[in-house]
This record gives sequence, structure tokens and C-alpha cells, in this order.
Amino acid sequence: MARAYAVKGKKRKNKEEWHGGEPDAKRAITEKTSDGEEEGKEVVNELEGIPVAPSEQNNTKKGRLIFILEKASLEVAKVGKSYQLLNSDDHAYFLKKNNRNPSDYRPDIVHQALLMILDSQLNKSGMVQAMYVKTEKGVLFEVKPHARLPRTFKHFCGLMLQLLLKLSITAAGKREKLLRVIKNPVSRYLPVNSRKIGLSFSSKKLVNINNYVGSAGTNDVDLVFVVGAMAHGKIDREDADDFISISGYPLSAAYCIGKITNAFETKYNIL
Amino acid sequence: MVKLSKPTATMDNQKNNKKKKKTKSSGPKAKSMKVSEPIPKPNPFENIWSRRKFDILGKKRKGEERRIGLARSLGIQKRKQTLLKEYEQSTKSSVFLDNRIGEQGEALPEFDKALLRSQRHRQLKLGKKRKFNLEEEEEEDEDEEDGFGFGGLGGERDDFEDEMLPFDEEESAILKQLHGPKTQDPMDSGLIEGEENRHKTKKEVMEEIISKSKFFKAQKAKEKEENERLMEDLDKNFTSLVQSEALLSLTEPGKMNALKALVNKSIPNERKNDNSSSTQKIENLNQDQPDSYDKLVKEMALEMRARPSDRTKTPEEIAQEERERLEHLEEERQKRMLAPEDASDEDNDDSDKPSTKGLRSISGDALVDSFSLEEEPRTKKGWVDEILERSNENNSDSEADDSSGDSETAEDDSDEEGSDEDDDEGENKLSLKDWEQSDDDHIGTDLEDDEEEGEEEEDDANEKEMGSRDQKKAKKSDSVEITNKDGDSLHAKKTKADGKSVSTRPDLPYLIEAPKSLEELCALLDNRSNTEVILIISRIRASNAIKLAAENRKKMQVFYGVLLQYFAILANKNPLNFELLNLLVKPLMEMSVEIPYFAAICARQRILRTRTQFCEIIKDPEISSWPSSKTLFLLRLWSMIFPCSDFRHVVMTPAILLMCEYLMRCPIVSGRDSAIGSFLCSMLLSVTRQSQKFCPEAILFLQTLLMAATDKKPVSCQDSQFNHLTELKALRPLLCIRNCVDEISPLNFIMIMDMPEDSPFFSSDNFRASVLLTMIETLQGYVNIYEGFSSFPEMFLPISMLLLEVAQQENLPHVLQDKFKNVAQLIKTKVDEHHKLRRPLLMRKQKPVPIKMLNPKFEENFVKGRDYDPDRERAEKRKLQKQVKREAKGAARELRKDTFFLLEVKEKERALREKERAEKYGKALAFLQEQEHGIKSGQLGKGRKRGR
Repeated sequence: MARAYAVKGKKRKNKEEWHGGEPDAKRAITEKTSDGEEEGKEVVNELEGIPVAPSEQNNTKKGRLIFILEKASLEVAKVGKSYQLLNSDDHAYFLKKNNRNPSDYRPDIVHQALLMILDSQLNKSGMVQAMYVKTEKGVLFEVKPHARLPRTFKHFCGLMLQLLLKLSITAAGKREKLLRVIKNPVSRYLPVNSRKIGLSFSSKKLVNINNYVGSAGTNDVDLVFVVGAMAHGKIDREDADDFISISGYPLSAAYCIGKITNAFETKYNIL
Repeated sequence: MVKLSKPTATMDNQKNNKKKKKTKSSGPKAKSMKVSEPIPKPNPFENIWSRRKFDILGKKRKGEERRIGLARSLGIQKRKQTLLKEYEQSTKSSVFLDNRIGEQGEALPEFDKALLRSQRHRQLKLGKKRKFNLEEEEEEDEDEEDGFGFGGLGGERDDFEDEMLPFDEEESAILKQLHGPKTQDPMDSGLIEGEENRHKTKKEVMEEIISKSKFFKAQKAKEKEENERLMEDLDKNFTSLVQSEALLSLTEPGKMNALKALVNKSIPNERKNDNSSSTQKIENLNQDQPDSYDKLVKEMALEMRARPSDRTKTPEEIAQEERERLEHLEEERQKRMLAPEDASDEDNDDSDKPSTKGLRSISGDALVDSFSLEEEPRTKKGWVDEILERSNENNSDSEADDSSGDSETAEDDSDEEGSDEDDDEGENKLSLKDWEQSDDDHIGTDLEDDEEEGEEEEDDANEKEMGSRDQKKAKKSDSVEITNKDGDSLHAKKTKADGKSVSTRPDLPYLIEAPKSLEELCALLDNRSNTEVILIISRIRASNAIKLAAENRKKMQVFYGVLLQYFAILANKNPLNFELLNLLVKPLMEMSVEIPYFAAICARQRILRTRTQFCEIIKDPEISSWPSSKTLFLLRLWSMIFPCSDFRHVVMTPAILLMCEYLMRCPIVSGRDSAIGSFLCSMLLSVTRQSQKFCPEAILFLQTLLMAATDKKPVSCQDSQFNHLTELKALRPLLCIRNCVDEISPLNFIMIMDMPEDSPFFSSDNFRASVLLTMIETLQGYVNIYEGFSSFPEMFLPISMLLLEVAQQENLPHVLQDKFKNVAQLIKTKVDEHHKLRRPLLMRKQKPVPIKMLNPKFEENFVKGRDYDPDRERAEKRKLQKQVKREAKGAARELRKDTFFLLEVKEKERALREKERAEKYGKALAFLQEQEHGIKSGQLGKGRKRGR
């Protein structure tokens, strides 16, 4: 994939603009404050008749979703001379040689799950607030909901490798960081009024996700779904507010996320 | 890595501290301890390994091999050897340099050093050429004493002698002898072997050269043999070729003979060669062969070369050639005409005599005196006269022949043309006079509206003038298939007339100047057969081709106008010369390709004029306003000349509009009108087929025709939404078929045009059936054209209803009924298709706007630490900067360590001094205390005291 380097000159120009813009903004703010409230009132009066945003958009502020993918098997190893993201297909021999179980190394689960979230209508409508992935090794990183992840697995591996080695990935042509490694624990990034729901097949509490979402998702609470992205095992339920299973069958992470997003799409009537 | 390095750094510090403590504690002994440290007892700190935080699978544990403690102690040792020494020297004013033998290399053990020295000493002695060698033993002793006893002196002396006699090499040789006497031998032996090898190679080289030369010689011989063999083969092949047919056909017979002779000679010769080995014969052969061969070669050289073919000619050249050919033919013709003048011309021609002989007498005709050519006027004048004569002559015949049928047509003519002529009638004579003058101007200027107008009028006037004469002549001279009814007698006479015309005019002139007026053209073309007319036109075109000369363009333009007029006149004649019309189309089309601009102007003017006429005619409800056959033919001609597929065309767009107007505004009064209308419809169909233009007028007309075919009064006002657009007059059921019709014959349109308006044929059921047939076919064509239109159902649904209505009539023939039903079905299916495809109207829905996604920037094969900057220069610079920074840091670190080390050393010294001082102080104090003690205890003082 040809990810062109943004021309530095342009970047610098942006930077300059940014730097140039900042004092102006500050000045503007100071002016505003110094001029007093009269001006502000006038502005408000002028704009009264025009709706700033459609009323639909207002409810998107609250009740947004956060996804946490736990125990993602993203591990970098030095295979031969180069660093690679370990997966069970390509590195089976290497893993066996190093006394590891190849079936544990499944970065494709994370890939599918992330794609499922990012491709959902829920995300397109801006209802996904953030995504966090915690690897088996304990590295926590954040994925911005407006990141367009590579569709192919190989490129995804490349991206993850660079992320784990460089600790952040910027957007092409921008300085914004789309993915970045952050400090543990994840709870420090969750909003104050949030409800953390762990999903596991092992949970005794079997619920219909549609009903559950309808009842649980009141507008003032941000829901956090913790989904395991590993091949075997389960997530720990210590800090979860609720621990549910949404099907009598063990589901794949991607499908589970699909069910959740579907439930929310029907709830918010996103077509 | 940064994280990794940090702990090590802290470790370093800790260790340093520890070391300091240790050194401090160990005190003066430390120095001696450290020198022998690595060997006797391992430093426990040297066993500390660097530790890493993250365990990366597959990564080599390179960092862990590094023992930080060991590296530190090594660094300290190095400093002791360099920095410490410098520090110690720094306070000294002079340096002690040990330049004794063996002192340079530190690797040598002490015993070897001593050995070296003694040997050197001996050699010096041997090399010395002294006068007296007697004191050998003494000196030996002395030297020995020097060497070992007084090291410093001996060193100096050695130095001095070194300058005199540099024996370094000898020394090295000695060393070698000492250490590796065994290693020398293989070396020497190897050298010897190398020399031997060289010798051998020289011999071998010589041998190789010899063998190579032999080999080359053999190869040359082989090649020679092969060449000979090839030559033989070639000879054999050649003989076989000569004997074969192929060459025979290619070469001339004479040469062939020579060749054969050669081959025949050679073949027996070869046989002889085989048989007899006598050398003389071979020589003879060799002498013979080249002779014949040379001959052949020479002949071949003299052979004719192939010529290049003529290049392809440009159109101008072709035109020029054509013109030249015609000129040549014309000349010949003139000769032929003049040569038998004396002998025999009277027997054939009555008319030629006056034309050729009596020039002056006949040339009173004012019409043709503007001709410039000398020869042609004569002939032409001759023709004109001839025509006049013949007209007189034929008049009697025609009058006799004009039967009842003809009289009708004559009336018809007058009726039809009356419409055209009504306006022009008054101007007739004036315009005729003007015409002569305006024509001349007309050549000079590009055709303008007025002139065109004038011309048209003149054209009509001419028509009128020549009307009776021309028509009758045409009837006689030209074969009119359409008016075959006229009877056999007429036909016979026609043929006679034809024969006569042929006999009277034996040949046409080959070079014909383009006629500048209709008169001239008519004079040229009258009484000619169709083929002759076409021939004349083609000759005119050839002799005045535009490509030949610039002025020909104007001539041709005028000629084009004239020809068009001629065409129009011809189209308006009552017994239509349809074949001639057809034939005229081709030259007209070709010419309009040559002069497209002019052709378009002509067509436009005509259309304009026709339209104005039509507008005037339509005011009068009594006269039929439907277009005359002339207009129809012209419209057809233009639709052939100009492209119909253009969206907008200078000629075709107005033509289509005109046709539509006819269809729209002309009232359908009689059956003839309906026939003309349906003809117009079909013409429109053919015109709009390609461009798919929508002509509502045509469809509406067809609809009205259909309504006319229904029995009842048109009550279908509710479904015909077009009706308010039309100027529908009270429509009689013109086409309603009353009785059964047996057979439906296709309409002969030309025949219909000839028929008068109130002929009984138009009210016959046969006519109605055939009109309906043509109409339904045209309608089908329209259905097929317009099926792609989205408004198709709206256009054709009412028609399909009408069709079904008409089809239900009982008198309608079955064929027609089927057709009607088929078309109705076709319309229905297509309408259904359209209805299926139609979508209900929707409010424009706003799509929800998705959040803007961003692509992450990452490398395909990410390697840590590589700079992925596309700007190589910048990356390189950055790399260098990084290196500089790293080096600077390293240097700073080293310096810091150095100062640390020096501080340590100074501290040690200070501590030592302190200790000594403390010791001294302690001793002194102890001494004093002892004394004090002694005094106090009274030992000293007591004794003295006692002693005292």
C-alpha cells in the first residue's frame, strides 16, 4: 500500500498556520472577554431563528458507545531479521520452536472485530466514542473511531507492528494520531458516568441484547462493552459493572460486536 | 532502548560509588590489588549483566552478553595506563625513555629481551673491523657488564650505534631464526616450487602454440574442403534449376539457350571429371566455363530494370486528365465534323447544315450570343434552331396524339402550376428581360437572395413559356414509364422520335461550357434521351471541374442553381419523367458535396420561398394548400443530399419544420390530400429515423387519418389531448371503407399526384385500403422510432385505441385488420414496458452524512529506526546530526569519567598524604607523649634529678 508521505513543506505550512492561528484565537478570546457580554448577547439575538444543528444530532452527544477488546493477541517478535506480528498461520514453526502454542496467536480476531465496529452504521453515524485494545502482553492502545483500518489482514499486521514499535500511528497527511499506545489501566480513559459491561459466554446472565440495550442504555450513561478478542479463555470480570452473555452459543468476537451494534442501530433507528 | 539504558546508568553510578568506597577502604593497597585484579580474583561487580524490561520473542540476547561491570573495570584499567601516566608525568620536567633493545615490544618476556641484547652485542662485535681483535674476551666481559650491569649506559651506546649501523633487518632475521626456523623452510621451498612452475609453463606455452598452429592448419584445410563441396552442390543445384521450368518462364529464350548450353556442357564435363582424372581436361573445362558464365552475367547486367509505378494521382490531376481527355475527344469530333463536310453530311442531317454552314444567318437568336467559345456557339445555336424546328414539326404529331387522357393532364398541369404562377404571371415579361442582365451579374457575385428570388421567378416564367412545347417534346422524346397508358401508337412514335433524334444528332460535344441560365440548359438538354442528359451533365461537370480553375467554382455554382431549377421544372411536369429525375439526383448530390455552402443557400432560399407561398395559399380555403409534386421532390432531394441525423442543420431543420407545417395546417379535404399527407409522413419518418426527433404533427396527422377511417363522427374528444392543437376541420369519413376489398395494392404515389383532385379513384375503397395500409406501416415505423421516449405511452395510447376501433369495422380487409391489431398490440406491449419502468415521484431524500474517516499512515515493511522520510537528503542529514549528537554525548561521558577517575586518583593521593601526615603527627605526638610521660614519671628527670 502506497502510503504517501505527506509533503513536509505543506505540513510545515499547516504548522505555521496553526502557530499563526493560535495567538489570533487568543486575541479573539481576550477581545471577547474585554468587550463584555453585550456583544455576545447581540450575536445570540441574531442567530436565534436559525437552528444551529438538526435536533437529531443532539442526542448523539450522550449514550455513545465505547468498546474495549481485551486480551488481543498482538505480539511482535523478531522472526529472522525483521520484526513481525505473530500469527498462527505464518509463524507456526517459529512459535513451536519457541515453545508457544500457535493457536493462541490470532491477530485476525482483533482485525475482524475492529472492522466490525468501524464498518457499522453506528460508527458511521458517529455513535462510537472510542475503542481500546488491550493485548495479551498488557499493552493498551486506543483506536479512534474515524480511523479507516486496512481491509486486508497483511496490511493490518503491518499497521499493528508499526503501532507496537512506534507507539503511535498518525493519519496520512495530518498530524492527528489515529492509533496510539496509552498507559494502563483503561479505566482512567473511560468517562465518569459510564457503565462497563463485560461479555462472556461463561456468564450465567443470559440476556437478549436488544432488550438489554433498550433498558440499559438510558441517555445519560455511556455504555462500555468489553469483548474478548482471544481464541481461548475469557476476560476477567473484576472491574465490570455487569457481566452478561448474549447467546447460548459461544460467539465470535466480530459477531458479538455485530449484534451489539445492530441492537444500538435499531434502538437509535439508524438506517 | 532509552528505558533500557536508564537503569544501567543508575547501576553504573551505584557501582562507581561502591568502587569509591572500596578504594577508599582498601587504601594504599588498592593500587597493587588492581594491577593484578583480573587474573587472581574476579571482581564481583564484573558479573553483573544488563537486564531488559520487555521480553521480545526471537530477539537475540545481544544486550545481555554485555557485562557492564566488566566494561567499567576495563575502562578504568585503560585510564590507568594512559591518563594516570600522563597525570603522573605532568609534574615532571623530564621523561625517562627506555630505548633498550626489546623494550619497544612489550609482549616479549624478560628472558627473551636479555637474549636479544646479548646476540646483538655479539654481532656488533663480529661486524667491527678493528685493528686489534685481541681484546675480544675483555671486551666481551665489558659488554656483558654494559649490557646487564649498566643498563642506562648500554642503552645509550646502542642508540648511538644504531644510528651508525641500522641492523634492524638483521635483528628481524635473527628473530626469525630464533623463533621460527621451521617456518622458514616451507617458505623457501614454496618459492623454489614457484620458479619450477614458471619453467614448466614456458615449455607448455611453446607446446600449446605449436599444437594450436597445427589445429588451425587442419581447420583451414577442412574449410577448404567444405567450400569445394559446397561449390559442387551449388553447381548441381544450378543445373537442376536450369532444367526446371521455373527459370525458363523467367528468362528470355536466348539466354535460356545459353544457359542450357552451359549446363549441358558442364554436365558431361563433370562426368568426365569423375571418370577421367586427366588434369588437362579439367583445365580446359575451367577455361570454358568462365566464358559462358561471364556472358550470362553480362547479359543479366544489361537486362532491363524494373520501373517504379506511377504515383497515385491527386484529385486535381485526375480532373485535369479527364478534362484533357475530353478536349482531345472534342478535337477529334470537330475534325470528324469538318472533314466529311464536303463529302457526305446532307444525307443525314437537315439541321447540321445550317448550324455548320450558315453561321450568320441563324445566329440571330439573342439568347445565346453571350457564349464565348467559338466553336460551341455554332453547334448550340444549331441545336436551338433544331429544337425550334422540331417543335414545329412535332407539334402536329403531338396534337394528333393528344387524346382525351392527355387533355386531362394538361388541365391538371395548368391547375397545379397555376398555384405557382399566379403571382409571377404579371412579372413574366419583365423578369424575362431582367434575367439576361441579372444572370451576368449573378456569375460575378455570390448568389444573393434577390437574385435567387429573381431566378426562381424566371424559372417559373420559363417554365410557363416553354411549357407547352417542352411537355410535348418530353412526351415524345423521353420514355415515360408512368404514362404507359398512352397507347402503343404513341410509343411507336416515341421510338421513332428517339431514333430520329439519335440520327439527327450523331454525337454530343465533349467539351461543354457550363450553361449560365435555364434557357441554355434547356436548349442543351431538350429532346435528349435520359442517358444523353446525364452524359451531358457529367461532361459539363468534367470540363468545368472546380479543381481545374478557380473561376470554375462560380460557373459550377451557377450551373448547380440552373440544374436545380431544371430538376424542379422536371418534377412539376405533368407526365413525370421519373427516371430522369432519379438520374439527376446523383449529379446533384455530387455537386452539392463540391459546393456545400452554395447548395445549402439554394435549398434554404427555396424552402423560404415555398413557405411564404404556402402561407399565402393557405389563406384561400378553396385552393388546395398541399405541396405540389415539385416541392415534394425537392424535399426528398434535400433529405438525400443533406444529413438527416444532425440535431440542427441549416437546411434539414427548416425542411422538417416546413413538412410539419404542411401536415399541421393543410386541411384534409379529399382523398388525394390524405395520400399526400401520408407521403409526407413517411418522408418525415425517413428523415427523423436517425435523429429520433419527435414530430408530433406527423403522429397527429396519422391519428386524424385514423379518425377519418372510423365510421362514426369523431367523438373521442376526451382522449385526444392534442385535438385542441390542430386546426382540424370537420373531418369527413374519407377513409371509411364501405365495401369489401379483395386486394390491397400499394399506392403509386406519382400516379396519384398526376390525378386530379376529384377523380373517382380517390373515393374508391381500393384507394382507401391502400392509404390505410401505407398509413399503418408509417405508424409502425414511428412506433419503432419513438419507443425509447419516456412519453411513449402518452403519445401512442390514444392511437392504439383508435386502431382497435378501426380494426373492428367489418368491411376492413383481413390483412389490414391483422396489421391494425398487430400495431395496436405492439404499442400496448411497449406501453406496458414503459409503465413498468416508471417510478413514482419521490421526495428528494437527504442522505445521512457519515463521519469522515482518515487513513492511517504506515509503512509496508516497517523497520525500527529507519527514517521513512521520502526526502533522502533530509533523512541523511538527520542521520548525521543524530550521529554527531551521539558522539558528542559519548565524548562528554568519557570526559566526565576521566575527571572522575582523576578526582579519584587525587583523592587517593590526598588520602595517602593525609595518612602519612597523620602518622608522622602520631609518631611525633607519641614521642612527645613518651617524653612527657618520662618527665612526668620522673624517669628522665628523676634520674637527673637523682643524678643531681
